[in-house]
Amino acid sequence: MSIAPTPTVVDRPDQDESVAPDIPWIVLVWNDPINLMSYVTFVFQKLFGYSIEKATELMLDVHEKGRAVVANGTREKAELDVFRLHEHGLWATMQRDDA
Amino acid sequence: MGRKPRPPIEREGNGYRFNLDREERALVHRLMTEMRALLQEPDADSGDGQVTDNRLKRIFPTAYHQAGDQELDQEYQRLMREEILASRLLGLDAVDEFMNAASGDRANATEAQMMAFLQALNGVRLVLGTMLDVDEQHDVGDVPDDHPNAGEYNLYDFLSWLLDWSVRAVQG
Repeated sequence: MSIAPTPTVVDRPDQDESVAPDIPWIVLVWNDPINLMSYVTFVFQKLFGYSIEKATELMLDVHEKGRAVVANGTREKAELDVFRLHEHGLWATMQRDDA
Repeated sequence: MGRKPRPPIEREGNGYRFNLDREERALVHRLMTEMRALLQEPDADSGDGQVTDNRLKRIFPTAYHQAGDQELDQEYQRLMREEILASRLLGLDAVDEFMNAASGDRANATEAQMMAFLQALNGVRLVLGTMLDVDEQHDVGDVPDDHPNAGEYNLYDFLSWLLDWSVRAVQG
C-alpha cells in the first residue's frame, strides 16, 4: 500500500437506525504506513464504541482496501468525528455521501 | 534493548504500571518534551490552513480532501488547528505528571493519563515516521546497523513496540 490515498471499493459500517437515510456526509479513514493496526482498532473502539470485532473489521478494510467509512451523519457531526480522529493521529477526511 | 520478563506496561488496580527502567523512561519523556517544543514552534501554525513544517503534516492533516471543498478545509484548519494543538499539549501535560512522579524502575498512570500517553506516544511515532518516510515495507529490525538513520529506525521500532504493548494493556 502506498502513502497516498487510492480509490477503492468501500464497505460502509452499519448505520445507526436513528440516522436519517439521506445522510449527507461520510467520514473516511485512510491507510497509512505509520499507524499500528492495533492502535487503529483501539481508536475505533474508543471513539465510536464499536465492538472489537467491528473495529477490527474496519481496521482491516483500511489496511487492505486503502480506506474505510467509519462514521456518517450531518456535516457538523462528521467534522467532530474527523477532529477526534485527528486528535488521535489517524488520517481521516470527510466528504458528501453522494454515492 | 531487550524485552523484559514483565510487559513494559500492564494494568494494575484501577490504573497502569510502567515497567520501564529509568533510561527507557527518560528517553520516552525526552521525546515527548521535544514533541512539545516542536508543537510550540511558531511555524507549527501558519494561520493559512497549511502546515509549513513537513514533520507536522500528520499531526494537522487535511479534513476535507475533495477538490471543491478547499474553503471548507481552510475553515476547519482555522477553527480546529488550535483545538488539536491544545489537546496535544494537555495530553503531554498529563504524561509529564506521572513521568515526573515516577521513581526507580516503575511509574504508575491513571486511566486518563494512560489515554494521554497513548495519544502522545502515537504522535511522536507519527512525527518520527514522517521524518524517516517510513513505508509499508518497513519491518522491525530490517534496517542494517550501518544505515545512516539506523539509530532513528531503532528508536521508531522501540516506540512501535511500546505503543503495541500500551494498546494491549488498555484492551486487556
